[in-house]
Order: sequence, then C-alpha cells, then structure tokens
Amino acid sequence: MSMFGSLDISASALSAERLRMDVTAENLANAQSTRTQGGGPYRRKEVVLQQSGGGFAGALAAARQSDGPAGGVRVQGIVEDTAPDRLVYDPSHPDANQQGYVRMPNVNPVTEMVDLISASRSYEANVTAMQTAKQMFTKTLELLR
Amino acid sequence: MELFDTTQIGLERAISGAAQRQTALASNLANANTPGYKARDVDFHSALRAAFASGAKGEEVERTTFAETTQNGVMRADGNAVDVDVESAKLSQNALEYQTLVQVARGRIDIIESAMGAR
Repeated sequence: MSMFGSLDISASALSAERLRMDVTAENLANAQSTRTQGGGPYRRKEVVLQQSGGGFAGALAAARQSDGPAGGVRVQGIVEDTAPDRLVYDPSHPDANQQGYVRMPNVNPVTEMVDLISASRSYEANVTAMQTAKQMFTKTLELLR
Repeated sequence: MELFDTTQIGLERAISGAAQRQTALASNLANANTPGYKARDVDFHSALRAAFASGAKGEEVERTTFAETTQNGVMRADGNAVDVDVESAKLSQNALEYQTLVQVARGRIDIIESAMGAR
C-alpha cells in the first residue's frame, strides 16, 4: 500500500466530479440548441462512472499506473441520453417542420440543477477526505521529531 | 526485556490498520456516484483484539493482517450502497483515532528516549 493511496483516490474523484459539472454545464448551455454538427437538436449528455482497479485487469492496469489508483473512480465514457426530443409549437422558428413544430433538445433544466448540486456536494466530500488524509500524514511526521 | 514491547508493536499495527481503513473510506466517498459500488471497511479493531486475546507475542501481533469487508446496506436504484454522511463520519472518526494512536506511540518512544538519556 502506498502512503498517498487515499490522496490519489480522492484526487481521481475530484476530477470525475469536475467532469460531471462540466457536462451538466454543457447540457444547460445547449438547452435551446436546435442545430448540431450531426444534424438535429442537441442531445443531453451524461457521464458514466466506474470504479477503477476492479477485477484482475483493473488491478493490473492500476499497478502499471495506466488507469488511476485502485479503489478510485474513473470516467468510463460520456453517453447521450436516448430520451425523445421535446416538440415545441413555434411556426416562426427557422427549424420548424411543416406542422409548425420545432424539435428541441431533450434537456430538462431541473434534472441538470439536481445533477449540479449532487456533483458539487460529492466534490466537497472528497475535498474533506483529502484534508483529513493530509492531517494524518502530517501527524505521522511527528513520530520522526 | 525487549526494547519495543507488545503494546508498542500493537500500536504500530493499529496505526497501519487505520491508514488502510482511511484508504477504504476515501474509496467509498470517491465512488459515491458509481452504479453498483458497495461500501467497504477495514475492521482492524477486532483483528487486533483477537490477536491480543490469544496472548500473542510481539512477532505474532506484528504479522496481524486486516481484511477488507464489503457492506451490504440499503441500495439505491442503481445498485450503489454508499451513505455519504455515514462515510464522512467514519472518516473523521478514523482520522482522530489515527492521531491519538500516533500521539500515544510518540509518548512511549519519548519515555524510552529519556531512559536512554537521549534528551
């Protein structure tokens, strides 16, 4: 066990939670975007988290330091929400169809705000865990005094 | 008589047990949003208590290992079973315990040092 194992684990969670916040911000920013490069309206994105160092392959990757610390968290990927687009009646909109409906992104601002709070609180919890670990290591140094 | 008695070795094992527990608890908080993750803990108290109860000598206490246990608590819909409040409480409790153990170990080393006339 490395001495700074718990610091590495908390650090992996900090970057994962920060990415969740980034993706939530992206969803909120594009809540009204009807055009994307792939055509069609913007689709809501979501971060998939995975425990790193699980199983044999994970333990091997963690030992080779190619995949975060064992027991930490890593981002497996960012997936698109498959929920149907919202249809809004707005005939004057340039992207309105023949019947006057516009396909708007499947982003619900309320869900995004809840995700934002959840990510923010998890971030704080991990910062506290990091500070606690730091205090412990500082205390250990007193043995050498 | 040996320089470091069973109590001193026990203290050192408890310090490393608390460090191992800190890693497990940090891992729980890191995975508070990971689907399917179960909270883990290291019960170093009962392992050490068993070692002392069996009248183990210093070397045997030194060889005590601590196993990681998985908790099967109430699960969320995504299979995650981490209670952030409980884990935070355990984390600060463990850190205090660690600091206490280090303090006591240091105090005992101080006693040996003054006996040696080192200070």
